[in-house]
Amino acid sequence: MSSDQDHLKETDTEARFEFKKEERSSFQAEKGLTEETIRVISEDKGEPEWMLKRRLRALEQFQEMPMPTDWPGQPDLSEVDVNEIIPYIRPDVETRESVDDWTDLPDDIKDTFDKLGIPEAEKNALSGVGAQYESEVVYQNMQERWEEKGVVFCNMDQAVREHEDLVREHFMTKCVPPSDNKFAALHGAIWSGGSFVYVPEDTVVEMPVQAYFRMNSEGMGQFEHTLIIAEEGSEVHYIEGCSAPKYSAFNLHSGGVEVFVGDGAHVQYSTVQNWSKNTYNLNTKRALVEGDGRMEWISGSMGSKATMLYPSTVLKGRGASDNHITIAFAGEGQNIDTGAKVYHNAPNTKSTIESKSISKDGGRTNYRGLVHIADGASDSSTSVECDALMFDNESTSDTMPYMEINESKVDVAHEATVGKIGDEDVFYLQSRGLDDDDAKQMIVSGFIEPITEELPIEYAVELNRLVELEMEGSLG
Amino acid sequence: MSTQVPADLSEATVHEIASSRDEPDWLRETRLKALKAMDRLEMPDVIQTPGRRWTNLDQLDFDELADPLNQADDTERVTDEGVEVLPFTEAMVEHPELLQDAFGSVIDPERDYLTALSVALFTTGTFIYVPEGVDAEDVTIRTEMNSRSLFSHTLVVTEDSSSVTILERIDSGDDDVDGARYYSNLVEVAAGENSYVQYGSLQTLDEETYNVSLKRGDASVYSTIDWIEGNIGSRLTRSDIETELNGDSSEGRIVGAFFGHDDQHFDVNARVWHKAEHTTADLVTRGVLDDRARSVYEGVQDVGRDAWDTSSYQRENTLMLSDDSEADASPKLIINNHDTEASHSATVGQVDREDLFYLTSRTIPERDARNMLVEGFFVPVFEEIEVEELREDLEAQIAARLRK
Repeated sequence: MSSDQDHLKETDTEARFEFKKEERSSFQAEKGLTEETIRVISEDKGEPEWMLKRRLRALEQFQEMPMPTDWPGQPDLSEVDVNEIIPYIRPDVETRESVDDWTDLPDDIKDTFDKLGIPEAEKNALSGVGAQYESEVVYQNMQERWEEKGVVFCNMDQAVREHEDLVREHFMTKCVPPSDNKFAALHGAIWSGGSFVYVPEDTVVEMPVQAYFRMNSEGMGQFEHTLIIAEEGSEVHYIEGCSAPKYSAFNLHSGGVEVFVGDGAHVQYSTVQNWSKNTYNLNTKRALVEGDGRMEWISGSMGSKATMLYPSTVLKGRGASDNHITIAFAGEGQNIDTGAKVYHNAPNTKSTIESKSISKDGGRTNYRGLVHIADGASDSSTSVECDALMFDNESTSDTMPYMEINESKVDVAHEATVGKIGDEDVFYLQSRGLDDDDAKQMIVSGFIEPITEELPIEYAVELNRLVELEMEGSLG
Repeated sequence: MSTQVPADLSEATVHEIASSRDEPDWLRETRLKALKAMDRLEMPDVIQTPGRRWTNLDQLDFDELADPLNQADDTERVTDEGVEVLPFTEAMVEHPELLQDAFGSVIDPERDYLTALSVALFTTGTFIYVPEGVDAEDVTIRTEMNSRSLFSHTLVVTEDSSSVTILERIDSGDDDVDGARYYSNLVEVAAGENSYVQYGSLQTLDEETYNVSLKRGDASVYSTIDWIEGNIGSRLTRSDIETELNGDSSEGRIVGAFFGHDDQHFDVNARVWHKAEHTTADLVTRGVLDDRARSVYEGVQDVGRDAWDTSSYQRENTLMLSDDSEADASPKLIINNHDTEASHSATVGQVDREDLFYLTSRTIPERDARNMLVEGFFVPVFEEIEVEELREDLEAQIAARLRK
């Protein structure tokens, strides 16, 4: 391993995410949220009039909607005051467009992504990469062979200009309208950055495309928007990673993800979330799936102070299917409230949800999920499995599934278990010469294996590293 | 609050009820306090998901439903040796202190709007007292409701090392009240150390009656509280069955069965709180839905910080016989102690096609085959019932509904 890759050594995993860069920007919006702020952001981006109108409409909806406070056992959001965050920071990058060569980036930004290992991963395992720093995508590149086939992978702001019709039709209209929830409305008002992915009919993008989101400044909010359109018979795997250094003030991440899965298309969306533990992670992610299409959500929620995230899938066409795989790991001071939502709106639809959660050192995990089977969605099936592992008596693990079944010709099953780490398992491993920490680490790795094995190998390794890091934090 | 308050719901009404029953001052005060609290109290919690509210309790129009001064019932009480089974009015004379200590000790009269309403207005009810060491069986309370509205309050106190099995049977009488009616039933069980209570209940109210029932038990050291509830009748039932496992090594079981047809709505809730060490809970609910019936189920297993060595299990299974029915379920685990073995499962489906095929291939007509399978589906519930009369009654009610 060369010397500039030292940060990739196992022991330095924490340092890989924790470093801070001096805050430098060419444009920074005032704290808080007013119509003026939004006009300024929109103008700075050179947006068409219709987008500004959508932003302003979303702002109105945000101001009308109450803060969610009455969900049983939900994370405390009282600290989240949008008037205290900086909604928009344009990093100091010379070109207004994102660059397609890492060497064109300012040194400190390039160094950030080097340390996170993104350019290295791009060389080895990815079809394309986008990297967002603060509010803007600073790097975007995709292998030429995909471009030739008509695949589009660009930053969202660019898409508004270059693929205006597609964006206008799909952007926060039928998938995630701003009226969906308060933070979707906030997102609709001040979104910035993110990715646009378009895969033409019958095109299979063999290697994943990745976006990486990095917040560097204290007290900022990141609101990237991801729009994926997979046409009939196409396939794509999108991966997002996120991290930020820890500050004392809170950061807010409120992303929006919209996925359109065409007839017989297949989209996999994987997230490894490692926000710093002062970040509120309040996202809205949704997929609309046509006949025989397939949506897969794979999420590892490791970071953040509080997460409220329930990726949802609407199975619209006959034979559509969904697969959710979720891992949540809550350590000290963390409240990870996550789950899944699936609407079965057509016959012969199928969903499977697997959730694994681990809580320790006073952390709280909650699985909150909804499965709705509409009248007429006959011969549909759903299976939900939630397993929770608890390390100690300060931690909390909740499971709150909701099932609404309006159709009789269905097969609905939900199962959940909660338990502590098995003394006998630990004893067995210790008797084979492992120490207590290693034994527990191994048990946790085994517990989440059904999920890590679904991830590309680099991410499985990454997730395991993060888990080990979390474990070391307390046990070491 | 948008709820319509009963027309003659006032302090005067409460005084009139209390005076006519010759009640002691503490009970009168409790009623008046509950009445007053109604101004600030909310309806019981109902599950909400985006765009949907699972049960609409605001539809209860008490202006029309409640007629507090004309409550009438016909209640028969069967006792067993050594057990006191008394109407409230008699218990006030014979066990004044016991009654005063226990009343409201398990159910907070000001827990929600409907509970407070019931405490303010109840005119019937039973006090069951099982002295230390007494083993009693088949204590029976049969209540017929004979008025527009009826509010009932039952209190069970078991002393150390006693045991009792209780059957509560609720039905509508042959009176000539037309239109919607309201039945409210509060049951408190205070189980003494090492005592055992099985409280089985079956309601077959007529299908114009709104039935609101709250049953709650307080289990002390080594004690066991078993609840069994069968819901066949009523237009809408909101039932909450709850046990607090407050004593070390206490146990709780909540077993439920329902069979809905036409446009019946059952909102059934089973909740258990583990608050001491070595406690065990088992929640089993089985339901069948036909026609346009709808069921809503919430099960909660709450394991507290101090509940070391907890075992907690929950199963809920619903069979749908009709495409127009709806089954909603939310089994919840809330775990604050890691020394816990907890699981829950819920399923919704229809009668197994292979089972049906097997039986029809044995020349059993399809309808009969289906009925056999539905009756078989309820067997895990029947097996928990210790009072034979209750088991036979529930079996007969289910059989009758299948063959109507």
